[in-house]
Amino acid sequence: MVKRSKKAKTMRKLIKAIWIFSWFNSCGFCELVPLVGSRWDMERFGMIIVGTPRHADVLFIAGYQTLKSIKRAKIIYEQMAEPKVVIALGSCTMTGGMYWDSYNTIKRLEDYLPVTMYVPGCPPRPEAVFEACEKIFGHVKELK
Amino acid sequence: MDTKETGLLDEIKSKFKVDGRVQREQRIWISTDGSKLMEVCKWLKDGGFTHLSAISATDWLKDGKYELTYHLWSYDDNILVTVKTKIDRKNPSIDSVVPVWEENAQIHERELHELFGVKFKGNPDLSPLFLEDQEDVHPFRKDFNWREHVREKFYNKENEREAVYYD
Repeated sequence: MVKRSKKAKTMRKLIKAIWIFSWFNSCGFCELVPLVGSRWDMERFGMIIVGTPRHADVLFIAGYQTLKSIKRAKIIYEQMAEPKVVIALGSCTMTGGMYWDSYNTIKRLEDYLPVTMYVPGCPPRPEAVFEACEKIFGHVKELK
Repeated sequence: MDTKETGLLDEIKSKFKVDGRVQREQRIWISTDGSKLMEVCKWLKDGGFTHLSAISATDWLKDGKYELTYHLWSYDDNILVTVKTKIDRKNPSIDSVVPVWEENAQIHERELHELFGVKFKGNPDLSPLFLEDQEDVHPFRKDFNWREHVREKFYNKENEREAVYYD
């Protein structure tokens, strides 16, 4: 029997069918649509989009975030139950992307939310999203 | 030629002593000054112009003026009346048309207050719409240096990754 730390025990609850709450601005929505469709069908892996952050394990955040919307994203993040994970999709979300000189978009997502995994790209490939989830599982399994 | 447009324009001109012209079929432009705006608007609303499509502002930097444009549509006559009025850029305040068109006007005025800093006297709620927590930022003004603003607000020159934004 492997002796695990409390954190490792908590985090291992993530290894199951992961439920997603998505917070998408602007074109960010289009980035996840292929994932739901038949070709990349994420429900094969038990990934489904839930209606409330209280049921979700993972927060997908995509599209440029404005100073107004990031406040709502924070509230959503706070409502999620532990253990929780934030996956940032696309370059606009992380750095402002092509809106790097806009007065209204945020420029560093990590200033506002604890980001677990970055998936760069414009838009990111659907496979990259699966890989991000798989990597999180990998890290959790390595936790002692 | 006597059309419904010229008829309406003559009526407005004789009643309020404002400038105006028929731009084309179904389009009338009226220029008025701020003090007459409320009278003109009230009269037009009672005359069937129930739909306020938009209020927009133009920043005439060299003249030191903001030009407010009210687009009004009448479903009875099928005419779009554009009421234009110029206000001082240094002290941009004008009577709100909320008493005339109510909620329809409220959201447009709120947006203009945020983007241009125009004060609408009598509007009950001019709280920020998109730019929450950003005081005295009026990004649609012609003299607003947004790149400078962004550098100050978001980027750190000492940070190696972000110093490129200062080149």
